Amino acid sequence: MKVIYFILIVSLSFLMPQAYALDLGDTLKDVIKSNVSGKTGNDSKEVSSPDAAKNEKRINFRNPSMDEEIQIGREITGNLLGAAPLVNDAALQKYVNQVGRWVANQSERGNLPWHFGVIESEDINAFAAPGGYVVITKGLYRKLENEAQLAGVLAHEIAHVTKSHHLKILQKSQLLDLGADLLGKQLGKNNQIIQKVIGSGAEICARSLDKNAEFEADRMGVTLTARAGYEPYGLPEVLQTIGQTNKNDNSVALLFKTHPHPDDRLLKLDEAIGNRLDAIKDGKTLSNRFYKLKN
Amino acid sequence: MKMHKFLLMALIVLFLPLMSLAAETGSAIKADVIRAEPYADAKKTGDFKRGEKLQILDKKGAWLKVKTAKTGGWVRLLSVKRGAGGSGNQLAGVLDVASGRAGTGKVVATTGIRGLNEEELKNAKYNEAEVKKLESYTQTSQQGNQFAKSGGLKAVKFNYLPESQQGGEK
Repeated sequence: MKVIYFILIVSLSFLMPQAYALDLGDTLKDVIKSNVSGKTGNDSKEVSSPDAAKNEKRINFRNPSMDEEIQIGREITGNLLGAAPLVNDAALQKYVNQVGRWVANQSERGNLPWHFGVIESEDINAFAAPGGYVVITKGLYRKLENEAQLAGVLAHEIAHVTKSHHLKILQKSQLLDLGADLLGKQLGKNNQIIQKVIGSGAEICARSLDKNAEFEADRMGVTLTARAGYEPYGLPEVLQTIGQTNKNDNSVALLFKTHPHPDDRLLKLDEAIGNRLDAIKDGKTLSNRFYKLKN
Repeated sequence: MKMHKFLLMALIVLFLPLMSLAAETGSAIKADVIRAEPYADAKKTGDFKRGEKLQILDKKGAWLKVKTAKTGGWVRLLSVKRGAGGSGNQLAGVLDVASGRAGTGKVVATTGIRGLNEEELKNAKYNEAEVKKLESYTQTSQQGNQFAKSGGLKAVKFNYLPESQQGGEK
């Protein structure tokens, strides 16, 4: 017990400046508490799996397998969907999956089981979670004019996944490695550990990435859009549209807080693109088959 | 005669707002060259400075047809910011009213309209049923390819854009 306290104190003092990142301090306390009270992780569906040996396996956050990455992303997405459910329109959901899947096929992670969804929120935003989960709000979808623009938005999020941007945020916290090791010994279930690691609810979706990660995702987004045969300016056009939204409008509050301003993103894209896209002449917008929202 | 002048004035006053709405306004986010055609090697017809107001008349691929106070022509899409510039456009207010966002600073509780702020994200509770639903729409790689084919989309070989490029067209 003393050893654990010692590790706790050392790790907390070591990681104080990063306390904002992941509140694993509390997590560790929880572990200790549950240890004291003789409880080690309680029952849930996953644990009652027939394969007991499987439960012995711990998530390796430092270098997760594809399955582990998907588990983490699934947990985050489940929390996000708890805040805003899917728009109840199967044709819409199928359509974004078709477009998204085709764009994701152009990335180096075509082997992931990509999932795309439109959620019931008038905010303008889009989210990506590890393992190939991509969600955009109805408010953002409303701003789109054609399939190339949808492809551009999804491509930006796909880039976050292929570059493991969010996973890296989780890994950056050294506390996480330490915490996960410790937790692995104390708690039985991966999903509980993930819940602890990703923090409260879907708050990781409200966290900012490094702004260079956003610029990188923009460049990759334009590239993937072009590779998919679309008019490559889909994403920049959406950025131009979003840039027109009054910054005091609530619908863009979180987006503007967590991303560089669209004007800066456009300038960076312009620097990167120069005349490189001039050779791509027959990119399609496919506005004729762009799915129109029912309401 | 007087009556005619009056009518003419009245007409102008009536249609002025419409005329100004017909062309979209924009502003230059950087200094750039205006060209006669939407191509990098087309003849230069003028230029503009950063922040200069302009009207957007047409769009063709990566190019916008614009009109400035002095001249007109085609300019690279990424050199122009759409909208009146500054803090958003005048239409925003109108749209806010239409979507039920006006005034309160909070989203009005109309059916289906909701925000997604930090607090809501933080307090979100895991929803397994919705994840399952999301996963039920999943398309395979082959289905994605099929969908592309039906729209006439063909994969293009294109390297990832580097961070910034030197020695471009300028």
